[in-house]
Amino acid sequence: MEAAIPRIRAVAAAGQTQLLRSAVCATCASSSSSSSRRHFSVFNRPQPNYPGHVPLTKIERAGLAVGASVMSFFDPYRHDLIAATGEATATPYFIYRLRDAMLADPTGRRILRQRPLISSKTLSLPALRNLPANSVGRAYVGWLDREGVSPDTRSRVRYIDDEECAYVMQRYRECHDFYHALTGLPIVREGEVALKAFEFANTLLPMTGLSIFAAATMKRGERQRFASIYLPWAIRNGARGKDVINVFWEERLEDDVDELRAELGIERPPDMRDIRKREREQKKRLQELKERGF
Amino acid sequence: MSAPSRPAGVLLRRLSKPNGRLLSSSTVPRASSRVFPGPVATSSAARWNSTTTSSSTSSTSTSSSSNFSSVNPDEVSHFNELAADWWDPHGSSRLLHLMNPLRHDFIRACHHTQADPPPSNGLTYLDIGCGGGIFAESAARLPSTRSVTAIDPTPSVLAIAKAHARKDPSLRNKLQYRQTSIEQLTIPTEEEAYDIVSLFEVIEHVDQPGAVLERVRPFVKPGGWLVMSTIARTWVSWFTTNFMAEDVLGIVPKGTHDWNKYLNEGELRGFLAGRGWSSPMVQGVMYVPGLGWKEVQGSERVGNYFFAVRKI
Amino acid sequence: MLARRSLLGKPGFICRSCVRQCQSQLTRAYSTSKDNIYDVVCVGGGPAGLSLLTALRANPVTSGLRVALIEAQDLSKVSSFALPITQFSNRCSSLTPASAQFLDTIGAWTHMKRERIQDYHEMQVWDGLTDARIEFDGQPSSGAGKTLAYMIENLNLTSGLLKRLEELGGVDIFDNTKVQNIDLGKETEEMDLSEWPIVELSGGQSLAARLLIGADGANSPVRAFSGIGSSGWDYGRHGVVASLQLEGDGWGGEFNKIAYQRFLPTGPIAMLPLPGNHASLVWSTTPEKAALLKSLSPKDFIAMVNAAFRLSAVDLGYLHTVPEGQEEELSWRTQHTHINAETVPQTVVGVQEGTVASFPLKLRHADTYIGERVALIGDAAHTIHPLAGQGLNQGQGDVQSLAKTIEYAVSHGQDIGSTLSLEPYSSERYAANHIILGVCDKLHKLYAVESGPLVPLRSIGLKAVNALGPLKNFFMEQASANGSKLL
Repeated sequence: MEAAIPRIRAVAAAGQTQLLRSAVCATCASSSSSSSRRHFSVFNRPQPNYPGHVPLTKIERAGLAVGASVMSFFDPYRHDLIAATGEATATPYFIYRLRDAMLADPTGRRILRQRPLISSKTLSLPALRNLPANSVGRAYVGWLDREGVSPDTRSRVRYIDDEECAYVMQRYRECHDFYHALTGLPIVREGEVALKAFEFANTLLPMTGLSIFAAATMKRGERQRFASIYLPWAIRNGARGKDVINVFWEERLEDDVDELRAELGIERPPDMRDIRKREREQKKRLQELKERGF
Repeated sequence: MSAPSRPAGVLLRRLSKPNGRLLSSSTVPRASSRVFPGPVATSSAARWNSTTTSSSTSSTSTSSSSNFSSVNPDEVSHFNELAADWWDPHGSSRLLHLMNPLRHDFIRACHHTQADPPPSNGLTYLDIGCGGGIFAESAARLPSTRSVTAIDPTPSVLAIAKAHARKDPSLRNKLQYRQTSIEQLTIPTEEEAYDIVSLFEVIEHVDQPGAVLERVRPFVKPGGWLVMSTIARTWVSWFTTNFMAEDVLGIVPKGTHDWNKYLNEGELRGFLAGRGWSSPMVQGVMYVPGLGWKEVQGSERVGNYFFAVRKI
Repeated sequence: MLARRSLLGKPGFICRSCVRQCQSQLTRAYSTSKDNIYDVVCVGGGPAGLSLLTALRANPVTSGLRVALIEAQDLSKVSSFALPITQFSNRCSSLTPASAQFLDTIGAWTHMKRERIQDYHEMQVWDGLTDARIEFDGQPSSGAGKTLAYMIENLNLTSGLLKRLEELGGVDIFDNTKVQNIDLGKETEEMDLSEWPIVELSGGQSLAARLLIGADGANSPVRAFSGIGSSGWDYGRHGVVASLQLEGDGWGGEFNKIAYQRFLPTGPIAMLPLPGNHASLVWSTTPEKAALLKSLSPKDFIAMVNAAFRLSAVDLGYLHTVPEGQEEELSWRTQHTHINAETVPQTVVGVQEGTVASFPLKLRHADTYIGERVALIGDAAHTIHPLAGQGLNQGQGDVQSLAKTIEYAVSHGQDIGSTLSLEPYSSERYAANHIILGVCDKLHKLYAVESGPLVPLRSIGLKAVNALGPLKNFFMEQASANGSKLL
């Protein structure tokens, strides 16, 4: 079993770090003032700090933040836009705060040091399907299967200048599916918004906070349910629970998901699918009753 | 401490109040140490002429003459207690203590004017009207001093001086107190005369200063100095010592100061001119609250000043 | 005053004061006890006490005073201080040019081992949370290459002072000697020493002091004897010291040495240059963190010092939670931390064995510096946070002022033990020291704040001072002078 689950690919990760390091150190900055130190125009865009990095001017960054957030508001399924919004709004402060939260935690530090990546290449999904029913890995793969998504659908970080913070954003993004598994919230708009609210309370990343405005586009019943059940849950658990960014998911795949939730201090929210299903059935019955002429 | 806030002149006058009648006043406890007895003294001080030179001071009333009648014998111990204030650095003598170093600076300045250096085997001092011994002790401590003779006719004050001197073993061989007046002090030979004779805050209390200065003259060694300090008779000194201190503030009983006896520098010059003295050294000093005593050129025409002449 | 009053109020005092009657007895008494009567008895042979005695002996006006020194330690070991130039004592002090000038005036400077003293000309101070930085260099107004301060081992200083004292002679030294008791003398038939402190020594002698100097440190027995209170508080911090070796002679080379200080939330860490590639560390931190630092292996201790000048407060916080492995963590974090190498001290490569030590930091200020026949100097009068390196210099300022006060008293025939004579010392030094104590205390508290509006405000303040030349010069002048100009 142990061998069946490919753990973090430490060698590959380290190799990548080496690569990044050489490109970065002169200009990369861990301090919060690094972004303000970079002054350039679109005509002399500097060298990327890591593969895929697109250095932006301040104006470009602001434009991206506004444009991408407005567009994703109307089309919440555009993951690329949400991702761009997240990156454009994460600096100057928020991504550093999240990075520091990782640096202050022994596990967080190990993650930063090893820089594991989550994809179908690093995780054997078939092996996960063989794990005990209530394990983290089984919950994760079960969630992927139920929603019909893959760990490979996450886009690469491009607009964060600091390479270490770019990894933090990448890690957050890749772990997002684990948060779904942890909370059991579905990928429907209602579930997505509830999870973003939880993430905002937990990570303070502005994009997650902005996503809560998507609640405005929900149906009236959903909005009421969100305001009365899921938003209070998200704020309470996100703020009170430990930093979920510091969970080394690759090491916790075999652990019991309830135990992990308890360890993190997070309550499981009411099952959104059950509620929605009940409501749908109720509606259907009402419809049937109407049709029968009651 | 209230002392620094008082006008300087007031305190100096308090220390040298000539009126025996006031000795019983608790407001002004200090005995009149600087009174100049003898034929030239004021009428009240003149009664002390018969004060003996005996050092037996155990009983002031008996050792003093019978005409020291204004002093109740019971008052002696009272004064003894109050006179301890003399050496209290924060007591009413504070301004006098603070002024004392300037006296030495002035004497040094006098010596600097000499073409010939002062005697190298140590200077001898005669301090007339030594009071509690502020100047006498300090003079005796100087390494350049061979001996100090300090005289005052007032037993209680001299007792204070002697008791205080016992607290410093280094004074023992250099400082001698004598309860006497200048009239009763034997005139020394020229060799035994003193290098420095001091009359600090004394001269303004006598009726005939000129005669006093003449009496002091044989005590000064040829080439030695007669050094004194006093206060000019100006509206400033009248205002601070008479009007403010006595009439307005009432910190000194009325009549303590006889402003009319204050001496201006020009008058002192007149007493000494043509009598075998050099032309005088004069230095005005002023008390500046917060800064202390300062030498101020020209202030001898306003208030306190030092005055010295060298015997030719 | 009370004592004096009651004494004079005793019936019969006049008789005892009768000179003629007692003359013969007095002479005899004096000759038998004068061996034990001193003008100045100094308790404590540290930098302050030794400087004072040297100043008194070196001045022709005060050289006639009979002086004694009491010191618990063996001073012969101090005066024979000798270490190879590759080793440095861990207790070093920063001497301002004013202090050094004073030591030169009293003839002690030439007796120091000059090759073990390091002058520095530049100082880099920055905020560990925001990186706001202020740079002091010796350029402005006062000419190029001005020395900000001299780093000197305390032992080098005391050893040099002792050599100068030996050269001057005339001090009765009681070393290896403790003060058993201090009490007031007695009034006898012969003389009245009832206001003189009598110091009883462990060797059995009793010394009567016209002026008793408390140069006996923060827990001054002299201060206790004189009933002078002291107020202040403990910082809950320890100062960790060590003698370090760097990778080179410093970024400015051998002739332009730089001192570094970074304000961390737990307290400032300072790296002060010593000759060659040596440096002295003073790191103010919590007692728990100090204990961890002392428990680390040399390589991890070195890593911690390097980290403390380079890594973020978050990284440092973590490094203080692990018992080992700091070296490895540092090498990883350095790759991801933006460091302009020349703005931090050169990398530490070695720590001298047995030099990692710590001491508690306190603020204390005596209620007054003088009493009847008593004067306090140095740590006996005030104990300061070491962040501005002012402790020893305040002591030197005290000594300079007290020596001047005693000189004036002697030359004007005053009793050097009377409070009247000592007043100028107290009034000159008390307020000046109080301001420095207060400024350093406020600085410590300002930089102990980890979050909130104070953090950006203090950075703005620091940057503003750095940008405003005249203001910066003012602070620099204050730091390198003895501080009395603050008034």
